[in-house]
Amino acid sequence: MELVFEEFYRSIPKAGEEVCGDNVEIIKKEDKTIVVLSDGLGSGIKANILSTLTSKIASGLLEKELPLNEILSTILATLPVCEVRGIAYSTLAFLIIDQNQELHLIEIDSPSAFLFRNNQVQKLNYSEFELEGKKIKEANFKFQKEDQLFLVSDGVTHAGIGGLLNFGLGWDGVAKEIERTVKRKQNDLKYSINKLVKVFNTFYGDQAGDDFTIIGMKYRKKRKLNIWSGPPLKEDDDSLLAQKISAADGKKIISGGTTAQIAARELNRELEPGLKYYDKDIPPTSRMEGFDLLTEGLLTLNKVLSLLKKYKPGQIPVDGRDGASRFTRLLLESDSVKFFVGRAVNESHQSLNLPINLGIRSQIISQIAEQLRRIKKKVEIEWF
Amino acid sequence: MSKNTLKICIGTPCHLMGAADLLEAVENLDYNLRKKIELKTSHCIDNCCDKAPVAEFNGKVYQDLNPEKLYEIINKNIR
Repeated sequence: MELVFEEFYRSIPKAGEEVCGDNVEIIKKEDKTIVVLSDGLGSGIKANILSTLTSKIASGLLEKELPLNEILSTILATLPVCEVRGIAYSTLAFLIIDQNQELHLIEIDSPSAFLFRNNQVQKLNYSEFELEGKKIKEANFKFQKEDQLFLVSDGVTHAGIGGLLNFGLGWDGVAKEIERTVKRKQNDLKYSINKLVKVFNTFYGDQAGDDFTIIGMKYRKKRKLNIWSGPPLKEDDDSLLAQKISAADGKKIISGGTTAQIAARELNRELEPGLKYYDKDIPPTSRMEGFDLLTEGLLTLNKVLSLLKKYKPGQIPVDGRDGASRFTRLLLESDSVKFFVGRAVNESHQSLNLPINLGIRSQIISQIAEQLRRIKKKVEIEWF
Repeated sequence: MSKNTLKICIGTPCHLMGAADLLEAVENLDYNLRKKIELKTSHCIDNCCDKAPVAEFNGKVYQDLNPEKLYEIINKNIR
């Protein structure tokens, strides 16, 4: 059974601020995942710029695979120090996890990580050392299949100040909340993160007193997705394609009304076109037995492409019940995606005089594939 | 059972030419009229995409529609 490391995060800005002073960078490489969290001093634009700067420098250096000591001293030497308060402008925590599930975590001025193992939250065994006059906490351990790890910014451990509590939740309080939430749905990391954000926000009385961020990580099974879009050039291939997608392993999407009609005909199943517009720009989705999603073709694909372009690794996939949002969600939740693309020209579209970049299916699918590869999904395209 | 069947095409050309407005118009029909109509959608009606949006009312295909025209068709042909 193949496993994949998955991570989700949410950052909430301090009440009244437009941007968050915390920043997360996640880099997926072939053999490892790098996660960086930085919290800029204060809030607002200044904090946002500082944390972005810090996390970008850190993730850039980590990606180049320089020796750890060199990376740390570079970061510590470049971290700007506040003239008034005499402390660094931002905190930093980063971790590297490799193929053998060996995890390496470094924390500078940020709250200790939370490890969920055997149904309870525990603290990691840290070793401490000093570099460039800074205390650095380091932890190395083997990440087990059932483990979940959470990193937070101090806005989380302070949750409640100015709200329900006098001194905030503290590490133990946060650990209790994480334990309670994760136990409820152990396999759904997205649910845990969303729920925890709600909990912390409630402690703040829905007026966050500081920027806060929580990142969750765990292993899960790999997921597969198959997509058929467009009628094939040769009509003889209709039944071949229908059989292929029907027999494929994993979830299944059909994109395109004509394609859906072909599939229904070849597989002898009933196609139920939908009536409901959740988004005026995206035509309704349809239903057919054995398929997870049937959408309209070109417009939906174009919208999917624009949603993917905006996506940053680790973010929780878009909400929304329209065809394009559901399509994007399925793509982001899968690890390997296989496209079956028919290249027949749809006569009906020729009458519309669509702009050329909107109208060519193969181009849009290639661009979607490019976006998926950017976030390290395995993509295969078969043309018909 | 409704005696009348209205099928509206939601294929790409019909969508772009205003199929959503037709669906909305049907939902906003007078209740006594609306309850007599069974509403369905389709991915293509009759392959006449160059005259979108297209709908079929009680078996007859109508092209190049807008909400006013659709309303007229329903009113004239309702059983």
